[in-house]
Amino acid sequence: MAEARPQTRRFRDLLEDRRFLAPALITPAALFIVLLVGAPLVLAVYLSMTDATAGQLTGKFIWFHNFTEAWHNDNFRRALRNTIVFTLASQAIVLVGAGILAHALVRPFRGRWFLRLLILLPWAAPVAVSTIGFLWIFDSQFSVVNWTLVHDLMPGGGHFYLYRPVNWVLGGIDHLPWVDVGKIDRLNPPQWLGQPTLAMLAIIFVQAWRILPFATVIFIAGLSSIPTEVHDAAKVDGATGLRKFWHITLPLQLPIATVALLFGIVFTATDMTVVYILTSGGPFNSTHMLTTWAYQTGVVSSNLGEGAAISLYLLPVLLVVSVLMLLFARRVEVS
Amino acid sequence: MWSTLRERGVSYLIVGPFAIVLAFPFYWMLVTAFKTNGDLYNLDNVPFTYHPSQAAVGEKLSFQHDHWLPFGFENATTSHITFIFSDTNYLRWVENTAVVGGLVVVITLLLAVPAGYSLARLSGRWGQSVGVGIFLTYLVPPTLLFLPLSRVISKLGLQDRLWSLVLVYPSFTIPFATWLLMGFFRTIPAELEDAALIDGCSRLKALARVIFPISIPGILTVVIFSFSLCVNEFVYAITFISGTKQHTISAGVPTDLIRGDVYFWQSLMAATLIPSILLALLYNSFLDRFIAGFTGGAFR
Amino acid sequence: MAENDDELEELGISPSLTRRQLVRRGLGGFLVAYAGALPKVAAAGVPKYVHKHYKNTLKIIQWSHFVPAYDVWFDKTYTKNWGAKHDTDVQVDHIALAQLPARAQAEVAAQSGHDIFGHLSPQAGLEDQVINHKEIIQEVTRKVGKVSQVGFKSCYNPKTRKWHGFPENYVPDPIHFRKDLWNQVGIKPSTWDDVRRAAPKLKALGHPVGLGMSNELDSNMLLIALMQCFGAFIQNAQAHPAINSKHTIEALKMMRDIYKRGMTNEVFAWTAASNNQGYLSGRLSLAVNAISIIRSAEDANPALAQNTSVAPIPRGPVQRLGLEHVMGVYTIWKFSKQKTLAKRFIADLEINYQGAFKNSKFYNFPAFRGAVHDYARQLAADPHKGKYNVLDLIARKYTVNLGYPGFSNAAVDEIFNTWLVPQMFAQVAQGKMTPADAASAALHEFKPIFAKWRGRGKI
Repeated sequence: MAEARPQTRRFRDLLEDRRFLAPALITPAALFIVLLVGAPLVLAVYLSMTDATAGQLTGKFIWFHNFTEAWHNDNFRRALRNTIVFTLASQAIVLVGAGILAHALVRPFRGRWFLRLLILLPWAAPVAVSTIGFLWIFDSQFSVVNWTLVHDLMPGGGHFYLYRPVNWVLGGIDHLPWVDVGKIDRLNPPQWLGQPTLAMLAIIFVQAWRILPFATVIFIAGLSSIPTEVHDAAKVDGATGLRKFWHITLPLQLPIATVALLFGIVFTATDMTVVYILTSGGPFNSTHMLTTWAYQTGVVSSNLGEGAAISLYLLPVLLVVSVLMLLFARRVEVS
Repeated sequence: MWSTLRERGVSYLIVGPFAIVLAFPFYWMLVTAFKTNGDLYNLDNVPFTYHPSQAAVGEKLSFQHDHWLPFGFENATTSHITFIFSDTNYLRWVENTAVVGGLVVVITLLLAVPAGYSLARLSGRWGQSVGVGIFLTYLVPPTLLFLPLSRVISKLGLQDRLWSLVLVYPSFTIPFATWLLMGFFRTIPAELEDAALIDGCSRLKALARVIFPISIPGILTVVIFSFSLCVNEFVYAITFISGTKQHTISAGVPTDLIRGDVYFWQSLMAATLIPSILLALLYNSFLDRFIAGFTGGAFR
Repeated sequence: MAENDDELEELGISPSLTRRQLVRRGLGGFLVAYAGALPKVAAAGVPKYVHKHYKNTLKIIQWSHFVPAYDVWFDKTYTKNWGAKHDTDVQVDHIALAQLPARAQAEVAAQSGHDIFGHLSPQAGLEDQVINHKEIIQEVTRKVGKVSQVGFKSCYNPKTRKWHGFPENYVPDPIHFRKDLWNQVGIKPSTWDDVRRAAPKLKALGHPVGLGMSNELDSNMLLIALMQCFGAFIQNAQAHPAINSKHTIEALKMMRDIYKRGMTNEVFAWTAASNNQGYLSGRLSLAVNAISIIRSAEDANPALAQNTSVAPIPRGPVQRLGLEHVMGVYTIWKFSKQKTLAKRFIADLEINYQGAFKNSKFYNFPAFRGAVHDYARQLAADPHKGKYNVLDLIARKYTVNLGYPGFSNAAVDEIFNTWLVPQMFAQVAQGKMTPADAASAALHEFKPIFAKWRGRGKI
């Protein structure tokens, strides 16, 4: 009896001890991740340095040959550039859009619940099937976007064509150096998935469309967390409207914005579904991202080693971005 | 009065266009789901209304005599929508998705709540680094991992079974959940726990009795985000499971509703609308709850 | 709460219903509908032989056939009957066309999966992972006769002397054209020159021809077949890339002409379904596709089907020669534990191909010609009055394998899977490259691919 008690007490003391408890609580999660992400990652790194093909998980060691081979391919470099453009453009849209939208949604007004429901829909839809829906919206013959642009929208034959004002705007933009979209031809409407520039725009749009609700929710949560004392203090100081926004709301939102942006960037850069379903990297391999190019090389063309190498190129890029952002977030938090 | 009216006007002016752009594809899906083949594939027809056409084999025009219906709805058919229930395992897919999502959420909570708490409260300096380390696992795209993972899954005998997804999905929900909870726990004032500890509770008891109830909103957030990550997942769902009865929505819909070069567009639209609306309703009802709970600071 | 009631009133719902109740009722309603549908789903899902316990299990995976009735026949009738006779529970899984390569590689990586894998093209790249299918070939040859040239050259590797797949069926690739519209312009699409002459006239009528140049299956097959008609080939009989020839340049010029005068740039954005949908809408006057188009028209638009003729691919200056649209190839993994049973299944399926031929509505032609008797009579017996008679001619005379005059090898496979031919044609049609440059650029791209597979000893 006397022996049992010290033992239980010792165990209970351990549970109280921070140095034991902290690692104990983290270990299950960490173990899970190490096994299910770390181990396959190591295997993938190994594969990237071999000439493995067609699903075989072994091959002859060729060191960094795959990495240099990949770099020399035009398609790879375009894929790298596309990934950066795609991620930055869509996340910029998401950041600005979610910021504005979240502000408008924190204040209660009539119909807010219903409008919020509509706004949540893109995020609620499983991405694979909603992207298939966009395939139809952007179809080369039956696109509803094209129909709306090109047909007489005034009931009763009033001759209102949407493509006319759009062409007027495009004519104005055309003076910019790198813009090359041309005007909308009524008899030959834009091929949203068939012309390289338009395809990129379509993909950026779909990705921003589906991530916007997600970011808005995060922003709303953040906005709601600003304690009322801050609002009161601002009112007392006479800061309202734009000044309040710039000096108070914006800085307080920065940590949340950083988190939202970071996750948005990561989810977008590592996403394969949207591009794969909409264009499969076409037309002419012009919309490949690193993820789809890696898939095409590794799985479709059976060059597994090379595909693994291409995927791994993403890692250092994202690593740098993440570390920078995390440091930025920490500094903002502290101040 | 004018200022509130102006405020409200501004709200509508901002939220309105966003809602239209975000929800328009779903409106479009709704309209398309009821179209007959002859109407859908006719380039001369206005896409937003329904037009008479020859009913194809298998299409039933149930509203034919109701000429009072707007938009020409008497020319619509529900056959393509009922098709997904009668000729595919759609309900099974919905069920599978819900079950996998639910189980993964439970596993995520079981592993991420202690981890998040530990990193927030107990770990001090090295906690930050471990937190960052956990986040870094996100940087590995599944386009790469699915092949080695296939080997793992088959060695465990889980190939073609939903358990394979239940095993693998937490690998991307746990990092996200741990981060969210870490931030959330940090905002709970330490005094609350200290008070409990002084009263004689062990740390674990304090966690259960005091912290857990307050963190319900944070946990709800994790539940919703994790669930949505699971529902969206596509690559693993397609490669690990091949039996149609074991598919999730993301895997089953492209397999059964796209046959070779024939896309069953109306059915595809209906198949997308149903889970979207349900999930949006679910998320929306929770939104108020966990926003309310976030006063006190979530992401500091 | 009052404000929320106002919202609901605006929505037209009674103010006594709170938001929470609305959500609850919505979800509740769904659950009720779900529960109501469950018995039907359960009943549909119960297999006929649920009470029998078979000794063996055979797992098959293949694509979802475009004729849903074929899958119903295959899954519920044929395999169940065969399984009962061989004390085997045959499980058939389906997969979308686009996911076949990923699934195949995942099974190789996992070293476990289905015993029989049904591909839609010869998989020379997977040669090392599958058995030598020689025995099945020999067995079927003994029972019904020799394999056709298409089958032989698709699935046999002369370098390693291995049958890397069993050619089960192939799908002939005719053209569909609107005889009413072509009569109007007074031309028949018997040669490619006819098509070039007719294209602008048909476009003026508002019914252009539909020849895709996009990264998808239909365009790939069409353009390679077009090249063949001009005497241009991806490789020669000794498996060396032969794309840079004056024949290729002629073919490129022809397609560029047809595009410039008769088509719009939508053809660069097409998916595999686009020519189907364009034809079914009544707009396109010509499409090169398997009979999925006309079979769909028979269901949805009989008047259109009446006006449609099916014919072989137009003749080029050198010859009239088309490709198979898809080729059904069954493979058995080396790691399968049911190799004998799998071989038996495949052999039986091929020997008794009559059922498959009929149930696929003549989409699937057996790779062993002798497996079906009396093609002419059966095709003529189709209720659509002799429309399909020409399929036999196309299958016999005008269909060759991918990679003709050589064998379908891993290099040809890779070129096919990475859309190099449609890209070459698209670059020329859009004026981005001259035909001569495009042909030599293509050769430049093909050479390393061939070198790589040669280095691996597969060619």
